[in-house]
Order: sequence, then structure tokens, then C-alpha cells
Amino acid sequence: MGVPTVRSVRAATAEAFSSSCSAEPAILDLSVVAKRAEAQGVVSLDLALPDGELLPAWLPGAHIDVMLPDNVVRQYSLCGDCRNNRAWTIAVLRETASRGGSRYIHDHLAVGDRMQVSRPRNNFRLVDAEHYLFIAGGIGITPILAMARQIAAQGKPWTLVYGGRTRGAMAFIDTLRALRGGQIHICPQDECGLLDLPRFLDRHEDGTKVYCCGPEALIDAVEKRCSDWPIGTLHRERFAPSTKGAALPKGAFEVELARSGRRLVVPPDTSLLMVLEEAGYTITNSCRAGICGTCFIRVLSGELEHNDDVLSDAEREAGDGLLVCVSRAKSGLLVLDL
Amino acid sequence: MVDVRNVRGGNGLDGISAEVDEILDAVFQRTRQASEDFFVAFDRNPDPKVLSGWLEPRCWREIDYVFLLNEQIRRYGLGFKRNHITLLAKQSFQEAEHYEMVGRAIESLGGTVPTALPTEVEPWSSFLWDCLDRHPLAAIAAWFTSETSASGSFEPTFRAAERHGLDEVMRIYKRIETDEKFHTGLGRQILSTYARTDGDRQEILRAMRGMRDLAWKTFTPESVALAKMAS
Repeated sequence: MGVPTVRSVRAATAEAFSSSCSAEPAILDLSVVAKRAEAQGVVSLDLALPDGELLPAWLPGAHIDVMLPDNVVRQYSLCGDCRNNRAWTIAVLRETASRGGSRYIHDHLAVGDRMQVSRPRNNFRLVDAEHYLFIAGGIGITPILAMARQIAAQGKPWTLVYGGRTRGAMAFIDTLRALRGGQIHICPQDECGLLDLPRFLDRHEDGTKVYCCGPEALIDAVEKRCSDWPIGTLHRERFAPSTKGAALPKGAFEVELARSGRRLVVPPDTSLLMVLEEAGYTITNSCRAGICGTCFIRVLSGELEHNDDVLSDAEREAGDGLLVCVSRAKSGLLVLDL
Repeated sequence: MVDVRNVRGGNGLDGISAEVDEILDAVFQRTRQASEDFFVAFDRNPDPKVLSGWLEPRCWREIDYVFLLNEQIRRYGLGFKRNHITLLAKQSFQEAEHYEMVGRAIESLGGTVPTALPTEVEPWSSFLWDCLDRHPLAAIAAWFTSETSASGSFEPTFRAAERHGLDEVMRIYKRIETDEKFHTGLGRQILSTYARTDGDRQEILRAMRGMRDLAWKTFTPESVALAKMAS
């Protein structure tokens, strides 16, 4: 017996890596086939494969990563009709503090230009319900538009509460009004003030699911109103990772559980597994030391810090799962398929 | 699915890892076949006592692991890193839980939980303890092989439990299946971390080969029949 020599297993080949992934390309090269002004400061783009081939299927709530010059990557919700597999539509708000993403799209991108985008990912899926209450703030209307279109097509009842700074800055109002079966409340702040959340979120109604997308203050207010509602009732998507994360102590991070939209904070000295267990989740596990691999959970987004002893290099590089007993987020937010 | 054969450790098994994997594959297959054969026989005669007779050697193996792992820690533990002492102790605790759980299953089938070494388990147990006397890593190599052998019995057990509505057996063995991923991963990690010399590796192979030839035997229908005759 000797002194242990920890072997650094760095033998993953490109072949091994690609074999763990889909055979389909992860990045698509699309053409801009239409660009429209949808509201003050909002343009929409229709994107299609240059040869007119069918695009991958998606469902409302999905977003794509858009690769822009200078290694800028931005996420945009798909807001078109998910039954149209010839073109995807995104809508982009010109951010006043833009670091190049929205400014480039507004000022430089033109019909006929090419852009690289990821396949759709969906952390904000619609679940079955008898009635839907959609709450959108500003450009947060984009995933909600795709959802409302689908629910309207299914003939189910839905309500939309849509706020924005001014009516002229609120995109897709006419499109929404043309959909069937919905009660639509358009609430520009300069006319109505802040959204009247107590009116719409006074109490939990059985059979109703709430979908909310918008700025952090809106999401926080909706979360507060729904804090004692049954788990799985409220689903939300933020424009950006919660800034609450910035207040977390060093080594702490936040996880979002995609199926319920629930968010949990993992303190620096506590494992993600323990936090999930304390929150009432039963996670299969045995060693709690990163050896058995039984607590593997799929990750939908986020940067991972793998601390286990068993995932192969290819599995680590794929970045689509972690062992929750020992592994953590490198930074920011992890979205788990849970 | 995560493969515990990828577990990171040291380079102690370099040079013998192909044979290590061959032995593991062989013992897994032999045990799976023996278990399949047992459940074919059980399907013809689904006597709960027969099943409890098949579980009794499993049950003894669990408690024998408890004794052995504690002795392993006592004799050799301070040569290991502290986290490996903790993990061996954790494995020992889980084996004790398995003894309790399998014991409950045996009682629910009308059998008797073994409190002394059953005759049909003697060769397995003797070999395991001899390994402990020979070399600090030999018993680990032996139980690593034996635990891999047990994992070959799971799928046949689950299918049979479903066919016969043995929900408790199913539940218990699902839990054991999870824990054995830990045990086999730990076994491999310890061997690859602490084996350094060719002598270490020869002892590991000797223990694994010996256990390969023994571990599957108590899973056969013949073993249960012999045990019944002996009692």
C-alpha cells in the first residue's frame, strides 16, 4: 500500500463527448426573414433555416440563446405560434443600459442577416389546468403570448393581466385581443398605476395555474401574494437571474425547481441534497459523498461545480446534470429538472 | 445512468483493470443466471418458505459484512484517509440495515432469520475472512466482487417480485440496489487509491478470482435445496 496518487482522468475524447449528446447540431444557423416594430423600443424578428427546412419543435415557455457579436449571448423567449415550424419569432426590447445585445439587434441586424442560435430550451412549461392566469410585465409578455395562443387554441379559459410603462411601449396588444377565450386587462402604468395584484391574486382558486413573467419587482410581488398557495400553482420566469443572489453569502447559491417554479437557497456549508430534503423532496441517494451516483439530477441551466468522484469527464462537460450530494453551482442560479 | 466503474481514485489498478472488469462481468453474469434459474424454479413452486430459504444466505452475508468491515477498520483503517474510514463505517451501517430489512422480509415469508453462519454460506464467509488476514486490500477486493455479484440478482428479483406481488421484497431490494452502487464504487475507489505494488495487485486479483468462483453459488436453486436438506 502506498501514498494515494489521485489520478486526473482527462481522457475524454471529442468522440466520447459527442456520443453523449444528441446527433442533431446544438447550434443552428438561421436567417432573419422579417423584422417588425411591435411597440416603442420593441422589435420582433422572424428566424428561419436558410434552406426553408423545418425547425425543431418547441412548446410555449421555450427560449433560445442568441449568439451576437463580441461573444455576447442573450436569451429570448419564442413568442410566435409553436405550430409554425418554418419560422421562430422573438421580440427584443431596446435596453437603455444595453451592453451590445439589444442595441445590435435594433440598430444593425437586418432582414437577410444570419445569426446563430441554440435549440429551444424550456424552463417555463405550461402544465395542464382548468384555467390560466397570466401576469406579464413589459417584454415579459413574450412567453406569455405563446402560452395564451396555445391555451386559446385549446378553448380553455384564461385571464391576462399585462402591465407596461405606457400603452405605446406594450407589444402585441392587438395580437392578444384577437385570441379567443381570454379576459385581457391592459394596464399601462401611466394610466392605471402599478398592477392591481390583490384584485387578481386575492385567493387561490382550485384548478387555476398562474404564469408570471416580467421584471424582478413584479415577480417578487406575485411570489409574495402566492407564498402560501399550493406548490406548483405559481410558475414564473425572470428576465435575468434573481438579484437576490447578489445578497447571498459567498459560496451560497440559488436553485429553481423547473416543474414547480419554486426557488431555494443553498447555504455555503449545506449540500444541495440537504436543502432539497428539507424542502420535502425525496431524492434517491446512498453515500452522500459523490461516489454512488444515485442522486444524479438533471440540470436545465446554470454553471456547475462538480465535486463528485464518479461522473466521467464527458458527463461533466455535457453540463446537463450533477450529483446533488456534493456538487454545487459555480455561480448564480441552477435550474433543476425537478 | 452513472457508472460507478468510472469512480475516481488513484492509479493502483492500472495494469490489471481489464482483468478486474472481466471478473466483475463474469460474477455478475453468473449470479444473474443463478438467480434467473432460481426464480424459474420458484415460479413452478411459489412456496414462500423456498424464497425465504433463498434470502437467508443473503441475510447472513449482510451481517457478516458488518463484522468484517468493522474488523477491517480496526486492523487497517488508520492506513486509509479519514474519509475512507467514514465511508467504510457508513457501508457497515448500511449492511446492518440490510440485515434488518432482509430479516423482516424473511419473517414475512415465514422463514427464520439466521443468527449463526448457515452451512451453505461457509465457503464464502471463510474465504472473505481469510482474505482479511492475508492483506489490507484483499478483503475489500473480495467484498467488492461479492457485492457486484449480488447486483446481478436484482433484475431477476425485481421481475419475480412483480410477478408474485412481493411488494416488501421489491421495496427492500430497491433500497439495497441503491446502496450497492455506493459499496461497489467505494470498493473500487479504495483499491485504486491504495494499491501500489505488484504484490498488492496480485493479492487483489487473487481475492477477486476466488470470490468470483464462490459468490454466485448461493443464488442457485440447488443451493436452496441443499440447505433445506441440511436443515
